[in-house]
Amino acid sequence: MAKVLIWDAPVRVGHWLLVGAFALAWATSESEEWRLMHAVAGGVMIGVILFRLLWGFVGTRHARFASFVRGPQAAFAYVRGLLRGEASQYAGHNAAGGWAILALLALGLMTGASGWLVYQDMGGEWLEEAHELLANGLLAVAALHVAGVVASSLAHRENLVRAMLTGFKSGRPEEAIASARPWAIPLLLVSAAAAAWLLTR
Amino acid sequence: MKSVIFLLAGSLAMSAQAAMPAELLGGYAAAAGAGFKADAARGAAFYAKAFGVSAKMPSCASCHTDSPSQPGRHVVTDKAIKPLAPAANPERFSDPAKVEKWFKRNCSEVVGRECTAAEKADFIAFVTGGR
Repeated sequence: MAKVLIWDAPVRVGHWLLVGAFALAWATSESEEWRLMHAVAGGVMIGVILFRLLWGFVGTRHARFASFVRGPQAAFAYVRGLLRGEASQYAGHNAAGGWAILALLALGLMTGASGWLVYQDMGGEWLEEAHELLANGLLAVAALHVAGVVASSLAHRENLVRAMLTGFKSGRPEEAIASARPWAIPLLLVSAAAAAWLLTR
Repeated sequence: MKSVIFLLAGSLAMSAQAAMPAELLGGYAAAAGAGFKADAARGAAFYAKAFGVSAKMPSCASCHTDSPSQPGRHVVTDKAIKPLAPAANPERFSDPAKVEKWFKRNCSEVVGRECTAAEKADFIAFVTGGR
């Protein structure tokens, strides 16, 4: 199969922004000296996720929720196929990966929101505990997501990490998106910066 | 109705668990060894000491001000911090897990290591304004 354009630019930039911001937030989580940086990283995550939720409705084909959210049966069938070494190949997110995306977005948003409440000194000790629990959950799903990416990359003999960098992935010509829509990158960055600024005031 | 009863039972259990600052102090003092006696003056010196580990927050007082009964201000985020002294803020030193968590966080960053049980006992003696 030929390499065709699957992931648009905002999806890719947003993905790596989330990876970087979560890593930064994790690294600074035990420090008061880095508390502002920690909150900025959380704000960036919220800004990117809110943009991504909107992009899930107005973005390019494979970025839309309607194109990759499938039933649980399809997800289990994909995983079973993967374990047997005969997984069906998807142009965009596979049926199991789609659920990982939803879980990552939901956990990321909840982790960020609970962190913001803690930062504003609202809620009590229980909210700090909830924030840590959510962050641990986010890390666990991210690890699962990475494991899935590695497994699928091996099964389909395709470097899916590179696909998230270049946007190009195996697919039929009619599955390609017409444009990477780079013009939406500034909107994504404004969303991330605005959230980081507003949420750390 | 059932959930209300559970909530009531839960909050009763929580208040029963809530340790008074004196009990916490006693626990740390006991852990510090036989013959140890918590000393508020030693705690005050510890509180004010510039450890020089962190440039932005060299001492406890950097954020908590010179007096634990005053509201503090986070030197990095500029957010208000409620007073440390239980007399000004009864929530303080009422939850052993929370106390341990914050000693661990703040000691490692300000003192550069975990605080000893003796240091914690002296610290609580100082902030409670007690003996």
